[in-house]
Amino acid sequence: MNTSQWAQLFAIIRLEIWKTFFSRRSLWIYLFTLAPVLLFTANSIYAPREQARLARIAEKHQVALANLTAITRGMTNSVVLEQLGEPYQQHTWRHPIEGGRVNERGFYRYTDGKSDFTFHFNNGRVRGIERSDPETLPQNFLIFATIFRFYFLRLAVFFGCVGIFTNLFRGEMLDKSLHFYLLTPVRREILLAGKYLAGLLAAMVIFTASAALQWEALLWQFDHQTVADYFADPSSAHLLSYLGVTVLACAAYGSIFLCAGLLFRNPIVPAAIILLWESANLFLPATLQKLGVIYYLQSLCPLAAAPDSNMPVPLTRLISATTPASASMALVVLILFTLGVLVFSGVRSRKLEINYSTD
Amino acid sequence: MAVHKHTYKDYTGPRTPAWSRFLVLARFGFARVYHLKFLFLFSIGCLFYPLVCAAYIYLSHNPSFLALFSIPADRLPHVDGRFFYFYSIVQGALAYLLTAFVGPVLVTPDFANGAMPLYFSRPFSRAEYVAGRISVLLILLSLITWIPGLVLFAIQSSIEGWDWMTGNLWLASAIVSGLFVWIVVLSLIGLALSAWVRWKIGAGALVLGVIFAGAGFGAAINSLMRTNYGALIDLTQVAHTIWSYLFRYDTGTEMSLTSAWIVLVVTCVICLWLLAKRIRPFEVIK
Amino acid sequence: MTDSANITLDNVSRFYGEVLGVNRVTLSIPPGITSLVGPNGSGKITLMNLMTGLVRPTYGEIRIRGIAPSEPQKLFHLVGYSTQFDSFPKGLTGFQFIQSFLRFFGYSSATSLELAGRAIAQVGLTEAADRKIAAYSKGMRQRIKLAQAIAHDPQVLVLDEPLNGLDPLIRAETIALFRRWADEGRHVVVSSHVLHEVDLISDRVILLTGGYVVAEGQIHGVRTEIQEHPMEVLIRCDQPGALASRVFEQEHVVSAQILPDGSGLLVQTRDADRFYRQLNHLALDNIQIESVAPADDNVNSVYQYLIGGEEVSK
Repeated sequence: MNTSQWAQLFAIIRLEIWKTFFSRRSLWIYLFTLAPVLLFTANSIYAPREQARLARIAEKHQVALANLTAITRGMTNSVVLEQLGEPYQQHTWRHPIEGGRVNERGFYRYTDGKSDFTFHFNNGRVRGIERSDPETLPQNFLIFATIFRFYFLRLAVFFGCVGIFTNLFRGEMLDKSLHFYLLTPVRREILLAGKYLAGLLAAMVIFTASAALQWEALLWQFDHQTVADYFADPSSAHLLSYLGVTVLACAAYGSIFLCAGLLFRNPIVPAAIILLWESANLFLPATLQKLGVIYYLQSLCPLAAAPDSNMPVPLTRLISATTPASASMALVVLILFTLGVLVFSGVRSRKLEINYSTD
Repeated sequence: MAVHKHTYKDYTGPRTPAWSRFLVLARFGFARVYHLKFLFLFSIGCLFYPLVCAAYIYLSHNPSFLALFSIPADRLPHVDGRFFYFYSIVQGALAYLLTAFVGPVLVTPDFANGAMPLYFSRPFSRAEYVAGRISVLLILLSLITWIPGLVLFAIQSSIEGWDWMTGNLWLASAIVSGLFVWIVVLSLIGLALSAWVRWKIGAGALVLGVIFAGAGFGAAINSLMRTNYGALIDLTQVAHTIWSYLFRYDTGTEMSLTSAWIVLVVTCVICLWLLAKRIRPFEVIK
Repeated sequence: MTDSANITLDNVSRFYGEVLGVNRVTLSIPPGITSLVGPNGSGKITLMNLMTGLVRPTYGEIRIRGIAPSEPQKLFHLVGYSTQFDSFPKGLTGFQFIQSFLRFFGYSSATSLELAGRAIAQVGLTEAADRKIAAYSKGMRQRIKLAQAIAHDPQVLVLDEPLNGLDPLIRAETIALFRRWADEGRHVVVSSHVLHEVDLISDRVILLTGGYVVAEGQIHGVRTEIQEHPMEVLIRCDQPGALASRVFEQEHVVSAQILPDGSGLLVQTRDADRFYRQLNHLALDNIQIESVAPADDNVNSVYQYLIGGEEVSK
């Protein structure tokens, strides 16, 4: 590339960056990425207050931890009441089932001042026990890891990239403004590269800022000493890894959706297919898992995510446990994949024509 | 000097009833939808699972077939509330996908091409516009949800007999009410979000994202705050809760029926508010 | 003039699926003002889009002063195109729109600011330059499109209905601008439905219908070629009846119609040049001839003869 081509590239990036960051169309992307930050911030505010609340409850009615852990599934609610006394919170309701019968459901809540126990009942017997212990930094990072994998990467970054990158070409087509770019002395490949880099820059800034703010919000509730002790261990500096994964996710998904915007009149169809494929990645056999971008992104995540407790049991049985790819392999595959898609898009962009019909 | 001949006369012939004019939009909406081969094939594909269920109902009552494969009849899942609960989950998910594809096709081009002044410069109200557009979605989604569900109920009744049918009429009403409520909510979401985004891609992505993001974010809230209230923003969980009560199949959900209904009503109100704000005969450029 | 200085289309066809855009178009357009004339759907815009690379030909080859449209990095230093699309990138003012796209040409920030200001001044939009394009009137949007097409001082201008929506004053100024560019040796390719303006400004005309070129060249030359329609000549004289009887004696005269006000005669002749040569002799015997002018040597008539008849028969 010569000097003027570089100048053109930067001119495209400058124009596109401004449009991506400040268009009204980007508002929902900001909301999407801000959501987990708000969540972590809310938790950092909520968790200490919850601890204080439990401590106040325990002052009035403390139950020993040993008694709480002694309750097992199958015990009747009368036994629970006998052993633990009145719960500080309880609720019962009925769920109708076939044959005109009903299931009597309910829960009792107890605390020892630190941990919170919820005993779920079904027809008078304990069917489930939930235990919430005070939050620790390693636990919270595990939660961060889970949210990062199952919400941030799969939803926030994914849909954010759909919004940013499909807008670059297909959005311009729909706005009937793409022809202005094609009427300039810019090679189509440079136009594509400029738009992609602008989208990537915007996506990187938005999503890495969100990841960093989530991280910061997570730490907020803990005192300085706790944080310092945790980070004294060299292996615990995971923020940079997560930011790197975020950047790679933006690059890989961005290239896919840029290509989809070029190839398809309605890129939402391939986006939906890719979404389904990536969502189903957990359940696919090992070989097929390696055909998903999410597999390599997750391989690069430093912390293993906790299993999703909300997932129905039959589904958890379908999860295919696959060895994650090595970091170097994952990095190489993602970079090569991104470059490959971009090269293909560049070749395809030479054939780009203006057709502004709305069908 | 111009001479006015006054030859113009008002039309005095018969007119179509005012109440049915919104169906004009529906007619053209269907034409628009079925012009797209993918949507046509997808909506046909949505009938695959009901066909499988129908085959199952028939074969599970066919002694020759069961004997041929040595399948003990009492080991087969019954056609009961649980059966129709899972039917609702599958068809409800397909209905959601179809809404993400169809909603933008119906509404977004009208906004992208400035058609609102054209509609409302005629004796046509905003409510009629919404009714015309939503009827397409309701009809399409009915064709893949409660209508095949009722057909399955009818098949089961025809095999099991009059007593079974009279004893399980609550199932039929659960199928209709449970799935109809879901498709009303989906239709309103599809229309409201499509009205706010000028391009079909974005509208489709938003419709998909709202449900997926709600589920993801809800799970994140539950995980982080150790609560169950996050499920309230997961519309699929809300629907599953209502269906679990209607079909009398206890899935272990902690969500109360009242909360689930409130969430759906609030969702509908928000969607109607979004539509009311957006569907106007004029546009302000700042 | 060699083809490398012209816009050449060599057997160019473009199909949109089964729909014909243009078919077997072979043209060599020299510098000057060339108007594309034709009814809706005749292929004018397709031709313009083909010339500028916005669509690719199904068959054939196109060269704009020797450069193929598939080389935009070379082509658009030469070419400026004001399209039919009435939409613009969102959120930009008129000035920002011109200036930011000038940066794609490789101009520095200072140069692009200067060029943008000059282009906007040329189209008379200086006062509105800092307003958002979304708030512009139709005429202002037309002018900003024109400004975008001329900002980089191209040698080839392709303009789709450039006078559409302009008030008479701006219209006159713009026509003068086109004339000036044509005199400087630039190509100005214009499409228009306003036939009397085409007559006024064009050096050459290309008539299209149904995707085919039905005629091209200077108006007079095109008219002369249409032999199935006799030329009409309007003669103002004091004795139209007497002149009519003389005129009828000529075998090449098809008809002679006395004007309703009796002030002259409309003659249809198969050989206009012979008629003009014979008119002096025909006008002897004290017939006072005030004026003689061709009545249908204009684009409107050519359009009616070549295209209007087709449309009626459809």
